Amino acid sequence: MAAIIELDSISKHYGPVVGVNHVDLAVEDGEFLTLLGPSGCGKSTLLRMIGGFEVPTAGTIRIAGADVTAAPPQQRDVNMMFQDYALFPHMTVGKNITYGLERKGIKGTAARDKAEAALELVGLSGMFERHPHQLSGGQRQRVALARAVVREPKVILLDEPLSALDAKLREQMQVELKHMHEKLGITFLMVTHDQTEALVMSDRVVVMEAGEIAQDGTPEDLYERPATPYVANFIGTTNFLSARVVARGAGLVTLEAGNQKLKATDVMPLGGQAIGQIGIRPEKMQILKDTECRPANVLPGTVVETIYQGLALRTVVRISSGEEVLVDEMLRQGMLHSDHPRAGDPVALGVEPHNILLFGAER
Amino acid sequence: MTLRIIDRIGMGFFLGLPILWIVLFMLVPYGVLLTYSFWIKSYPLFEPAFQFGNYLTLLNEPQYLSVIGRTLKIAVIVSVTALVLAYPFAYFLVFRLKNATIRKVLFFGVIAPLWVSYLLRAYLWKTILGTQGVLNSTLMGLGIIGEPLDVFLYSQAAMVITLTYIFIPFMVMPIYAALEKIPRNLDEASADLGQSSWTTFWRVTVPLSLPGVVAGFTLTFCLCFGDFVAAFLVGGPDGLMVANVITSQFGAALDWPLGSALAVVMLVVVLAIISLSDRFEQRAKVQF
Amino acid sequence: MAKTTPLKTILTTSLATAVALPAWAEGELSLLTWEGYADDSFIAAFEAETGCRVSATYVGSGEEIIAKMAAGGGVYDLITPASDITKLIIEAGFVEPIDISRIDEWENIYPQFRELDNIQMDGEYYAMPYTWGAIAFMYRDDAFETPPTSLAALFDPRNEGRIALWDDKSAIYVAARYNGDTNIYTLSDEQIAAAVETLIEQRPLVRRYWSTAGELVDLYVGGEVDISNTWAGYQSALIAAEGIEVTEFIPEENAEGWMDSWMIADGSADNACTYPFLNMQLSEQGQCGVANVNGYSVANPVAARNCMTEEQFVALHQDDPAYLDALLMWQPLGDRMGAYVNAWNSVKAQ
Repeated sequence: MAAIIELDSISKHYGPVVGVNHVDLAVEDGEFLTLLGPSGCGKSTLLRMIGGFEVPTAGTIRIAGADVTAAPPQQRDVNMMFQDYALFPHMTVGKNITYGLERKGIKGTAARDKAEAALELVGLSGMFERHPHQLSGGQRQRVALARAVVREPKVILLDEPLSALDAKLREQMQVELKHMHEKLGITFLMVTHDQTEALVMSDRVVVMEAGEIAQDGTPEDLYERPATPYVANFIGTTNFLSARVVARGAGLVTLEAGNQKLKATDVMPLGGQAIGQIGIRPEKMQILKDTECRPANVLPGTVVETIYQGLALRTVVRISSGEEVLVDEMLRQGMLHSDHPRAGDPVALGVEPHNILLFGAER
Repeated sequence: MTLRIIDRIGMGFFLGLPILWIVLFMLVPYGVLLTYSFWIKSYPLFEPAFQFGNYLTLLNEPQYLSVIGRTLKIAVIVSVTALVLAYPFAYFLVFRLKNATIRKVLFFGVIAPLWVSYLLRAYLWKTILGTQGVLNSTLMGLGIIGEPLDVFLYSQAAMVITLTYIFIPFMVMPIYAALEKIPRNLDEASADLGQSSWTTFWRVTVPLSLPGVVAGFTLTFCLCFGDFVAAFLVGGPDGLMVANVITSQFGAALDWPLGSALAVVMLVVVLAIISLSDRFEQRAKVQF
Repeated sequence: MAKTTPLKTILTTSLATAVALPAWAEGELSLLTWEGYADDSFIAAFEAETGCRVSATYVGSGEEIIAKMAAGGGVYDLITPASDITKLIIEAGFVEPIDISRIDEWENIYPQFRELDNIQMDGEYYAMPYTWGAIAFMYRDDAFETPPTSLAALFDPRNEGRIALWDDKSAIYVAARYNGDTNIYTLSDEQIAAAVETLIEQRPLVRRYWSTAGELVDLYVGGEVDISNTWAGYQSALIAAEGIEVTEFIPEENAEGWMDSWMIADGSADNACTYPFLNMQLSEQGQCGVANVNGYSVANPVAARNCMTEEQFVALHQDDPAYLDALLMWQPLGDRMGAYVNAWNSVKAQ
């Protein structure tokens, strides 16, 4: 696959404030790539620079091989789906869609046919004459997508496309957008601050932190092997414990953490720093029952409280070092809430070596 | 129970007094005006009657129609001039000016004269526009003209300049408000869809700001239509406006019935324009 | 107060307590008059002597006086209309007769004024003559090689853009005289139409129809005009004070004359301050007071003789009854007034 968008050391400064700092990124043709990060991390600025709404302070942007760094939006073969859709309120749905075809020289019935087809694609057949204010949030979202799609751009840029929808609809649209991407075969480049959205929809996720790329990988990469505590913390929940290396060998590293000796699979933390802390996902630990065989690592502690979450039970445990950790257990069939340890009960937590994430020292 | 009674009395005052005020000082005077318009002039004053003679006089004597025509003409010229000046200005403030402080300063710079007496401002223009005024001295100093021009003062042009200056805030404010309401990203969306900023301006910005334009035009037009100070201060021998004729009927001519009839006609014209513009505005209105 | 009905008393009393308390309170006088007619320079002494407090509302035109009185002039005690509208005011019932036996210097007033029909009705006097003057003409000295002597100068294309004319029905009088119609207060419809015609022809030559005294001064001072009509004695002094030399003249076609008098608003004869005030105004104090402030001639030549310098006495034509006799004194137009005013409006409406 060839790169459809190439960012070469892109920076954007607002006076003394650095919004984006020397970002290199290649978006592969046809993939669904998501820029993920909290607000202010530079992801939206990056997207806007690709759309042509802002000009980078330094660096080069290439779309399909052509340098478009300074080109206005009109001259870029990409289309944006705006956060609140930016539909023209005084035009009908149909006019909103054909508006973007005018400059392509498609007019009259040809434009109408294309627009109808785009509407059908997004499941809004027959809405041609409606006005945007007559539509629901989800329908407006689809019109916005149809408006972008109808121009057959090389890339569709999606700026927080689902943030204006309620939780239920958002979940539904995540899947729908993903399907749409598969159906169209156009490259999707999305910006979001919602990790679930990123994990559910994307082929590849780029986590951004303070104007730079923190980690770039598949959703599974990011979840299972977060490169930094920042990524581990941003995607999913992680228990962090400070740690010190005691011994190394045979692919395992022995650490002292939580007042215990723990064995972990030995991988270098990103950036090559010395190991300073470890992370364990709450669902990668379990509360050991007497009957179970002991795993490689055991952390003794006392239950502080239990939180019932329906699908899972979260237990807050204070381990012997005094640090508090979260343990999530799926409530499978036959497991009763009441069977679980209560506040004050002593428990032992088990964790496998490959489930311990190794990080550099806290910054 | 008592609380409820007190509450009701309180509410009665809250609603009743303003309504009473409006009835007493607005509706009753309109009624008086309408009544007078059917009376008949009879030396030394006038007598109650019910006849349409005053309205017929307005129709039959060419001077009244010609004054109404002139007033309409000046009101249209002023409104168009104000629009042509105000729209680009408001557009520049809202869409092009990045610095919010400068935007506020410029906006208030245009609005601020409203806090200064209308009469004083109109009077100021006399000093600017006069034969020996600032404008002529400047033009002569720049060598653009050799002799002072007298067209700037005591002419319809002077009235248009003065009225435009005085009423332009009423054009700027609604247009500014309408432009400010337009979501910024519509501009970007239009560019994203390949349209030039010129097309965007005419196809997106202008249609969406139309309610503000209509409101501003109506305000400016009606204020101009009823103005008599500009004619009084900077108008020339051909500057008579409807309001001046009404003043004259209530004063010099001592013909309140005819003056009332003229005032009623003026009121009808203004109300017609307002309802027309309201209808237009309703149609131009969009829900965001 | 013979004609006061009980209802009227109730109405006026309640009105007075509601809005017009000062006018009715003992020792207060409320005037509806021209600027200068109640100037502090001579009113202050009167107030100190009598304990009467004088407050004045100033008007810009005689029509304003009528309009205010027609709208219910209850708050005013004394008004000073000019001789063209006194008759109308009397007939409209806005004023009360004056007991001339209580006016000390009544006999000193010019007989021409005392005999005027427009200040009397049914053998009673309703107005006390106070000041007079001409609607003279005026030109800027440095603008004319040969001083104009005729109205023709105001209709001369050579003076295009340098002419100002009073925005008043007086314009009809001027045009009629220019047309040779000397019966300016009894013009027929045809004569008025001819005057309108003349004024419409003149209009392109006119820089400005002026309406207030200050405005005409501004026009001369601002270099906008060279020739106009004027309220003799008043504006020329103000213009001269600005360092611009102007000369007043009475044209061959003659000039209008006006006379202002004091009238007692209906219901104010009982005010204890009314007659003392009228007497003061007709005395040397009031006569020279107003002459010094406004530059107008006064109605009581005896008082003027005593309190004016010889120079002023001559300058104001107080020594020259023939000057006064020659003026075309304003006459009531009666029911023809509308015709004059509308004719003038129609000129401006063209």
